[in-house]
Amino acid sequence: MTDERRTLSRRALLRGAGAAGAAAAVTAVGVPTAAAPPAPEAPRRRLAPEQPSGIAPAPAIYEQLTADEAELLEAIADHLIPEDELGPGAVAAGAVVYIDRALSGALSDSRNAYRGGLAAFDRYCRASRGAPFRELSHLDQVSALIDVETGGATGAKTGFSGSSASFFGMVRNHVLQGTFGDPYYGGNRDYIGWDLLRYPGVRTAVSPALQEALEAGALEPNHRSAYDSPNFEKAVVDQRREGGTHYGD
Amino acid sequence: MNTLLRRPTSWALFLGLLATPVLAQPQTHEIIVESPAMTTGKTMPSVYTPDGRNLSPPITWRNLPAGTREIAVVCSDFGAGNPPPWVHWIIYSIPGSATGLPEGLPIMEETPMPAALEGAIQGLNGWRRPYYRGPAPPAGTPHLYHFKVYALDTELGLQPGLDREDLLRAMEGHIIGQGELVPVYERF
Repeated sequence: MTDERRTLSRRALLRGAGAAGAAAAVTAVGVPTAAAPPAPEAPRRRLAPEQPSGIAPAPAIYEQLTADEAELLEAIADHLIPEDELGPGAVAAGAVVYIDRALSGALSDSRNAYRGGLAAFDRYCRASRGAPFRELSHLDQVSALIDVETGGATGAKTGFSGSSASFFGMVRNHVLQGTFGDPYYGGNRDYIGWDLLRYPGVRTAVSPALQEALEAGALEPNHRSAYDSPNFEKAVVDQRREGGTHYGD
Repeated sequence: MNTLLRRPTSWALFLGLLATPVLAQPQTHEIIVESPAMTTGKTMPSVYTPDGRNLSPPITWRNLPAGTREIAVVCSDFGAGNPPPWVHWIIYSIPGSATGLPEGLPIMEETPMPAALEGAIQGLNGWRRPYYRGPAPPAGTPHLYHFKVYALDTELGLQPGLDREDLLRAMEGHIIGQGELVPVYERF
């Protein structure tokens, strides 16, 4: 039962998310922005993003998060879904960019929770382990995150509002959204999340041949946003304080 | 003396909890459980809690009964949990030749156990995690942490993934010695 052991590993996170069903289960919130990658005109077949050799990807520009907040959040996201032998992780998928954009839209109510939670997490790492998170050893980083996740950092006088577990749960959910949600919302860059789950993409019509390919595990990903189909409206979800969730377009 | 142990209610709880397992199994041999870092009735160093690095603490034992084939350790807080106790750590299938646990046992599945503990398995604590997580009681409420050592007369061949209840059930009829170390922790 070794595989039942739970650590802050990609496998544990994916198990928690429902593995292959995660893409469908993630609630992608509507934050269409200029940063959302345009939907491809034609299906792409590659399974990993390609960069021309010698050209580094452009650094993300954050609108809501400060540079320090974004750096810390990227470090946390990198622990939750790291790049490994299975492919790129949450940072490459643009999960933190997704969160940043969402904080000015559907997740605007979470802005203070991020500001306070990230500051408290930074203070917690310094107080308990003697250094900022990014300067800790890998072991101490994992240990600090476990303490935040399990609520052990609550009451450590570092300023978590409520349980540290609530902050961790919020970050985890949003990193999942930003990694596995529809790319239309600004995350899941280059379909990294869907490729990681071997999710072949939305099909509005399924032929017998496609069904057979799916059942044989041979269905090629179509790398298309659900909103590339005219069957789906490009709805905007707006969680307004006074009126709950509002749908429009 | 620690201020906690000057409180009559604390003594009653402390002695009562110490006595309960002894009464339940009066025939078992007493193991001497010690630590280079902790003492019964004294405050645990914060390095073994989330206020520090939250390492598992070092523990040693001696006076094992003859015929000890395997050892298990459970750390419980009988002042927490619903129902109590809240379990902070379980480790079982420890070789009978072992004399203790070093500080900082693995929290990542890819990290192997020390050679002297080959075969030892960390079971599921109250958070359902297979590693040590230290005390984090509510501020102003001191809690007692029972690091209990069991000597067993056989190798049980247990699988990973057992929690405290599973372990106690599996050990039934095989405990030939036990002892404990009971430090205190309080957040201010």
